[in-house]
Amino acid sequence: MTPEPEPELREALLAAVPSLRAFAISLSGQVDRADDLVQDTLLRALANLHRFEPGTNLNAWLFTILRNLFHSEYRKRRREVEDPDGSYAGRLKVQPEQGSHLDFEDFRSALANLPSDQREALLLVGASGFSYEEAAHICGCAVGTIKSRVNRARFRLASLLNVEDIEDLGPDSMTRAALQG
Amino acid sequence: MTVEKGKKLARTILDTSVNDKLTTDPKLDSGSQKRIGDQLRAMYDELMQQPVPDRFKELLDQLDKKNGGKGGSQ
Repeated sequence: MTPEPEPELREALLAAVPSLRAFAISLSGQVDRADDLVQDTLLRALANLHRFEPGTNLNAWLFTILRNLFHSEYRKRRREVEDPDGSYAGRLKVQPEQGSHLDFEDFRSALANLPSDQREALLLVGASGFSYEEAAHICGCAVGTIKSRVNRARFRLASLLNVEDIEDLGPDSMTRAALQG
Repeated sequence: MTVEKGKKLARTILDTSVNDKLTTDPKLDSGSQKRIGDQLRAMYDELMQQPVPDRFKELLDQLDKKNGGKGGSQ
């Protein structure tokens, strides 16, 4: 008996699309390419459904697929283009979304300046809501490596965005610090 | 030969992506960390709220149609 996709599965996959897209757009910096990545991810997931262990995290599985597709495609492009880094970073910077706020422009370009392994770790842990353990599983590396990458990513973003020398946080910063433990 | 090339390439990519000027792990104060986190999530939330393009709905709709059949092989 080949397991047929259930309607619930369709719903679950559809429900995962917004977070897959957000990840893919933030990772690649291009909406078109991100959508292609998401589509390829869904197709690959459907073709490999038998490999998915029911009861495990579907989102983490999908993110793993997307991440691997992104990297294999990136490697392919590096092989084809001589100096891709400059153009890649350039493309990442120029991606004003329709209707997006200008406030995010600085943030996006700072994000684009991160090494891709740091960017991906930060996106998984800081935005996509995965634990360090899940992120490590998705990236196929050690938990400590993810923690280190996230730390570096935050630190570099802070210096790029000059977040550090803001001193007008006032009592709020203490509250935040207390809340963060 | 091609395998060797591939390995070399993989190493190069690894080296360049890991090649980071910061050798120690700096630690941010929690206020800055919070600010970075807030901005990141705000940017991300905006992306998450974008409507799902029709192509994905259509793709998954095909699932239902194939449900009675042999499943999707291309």
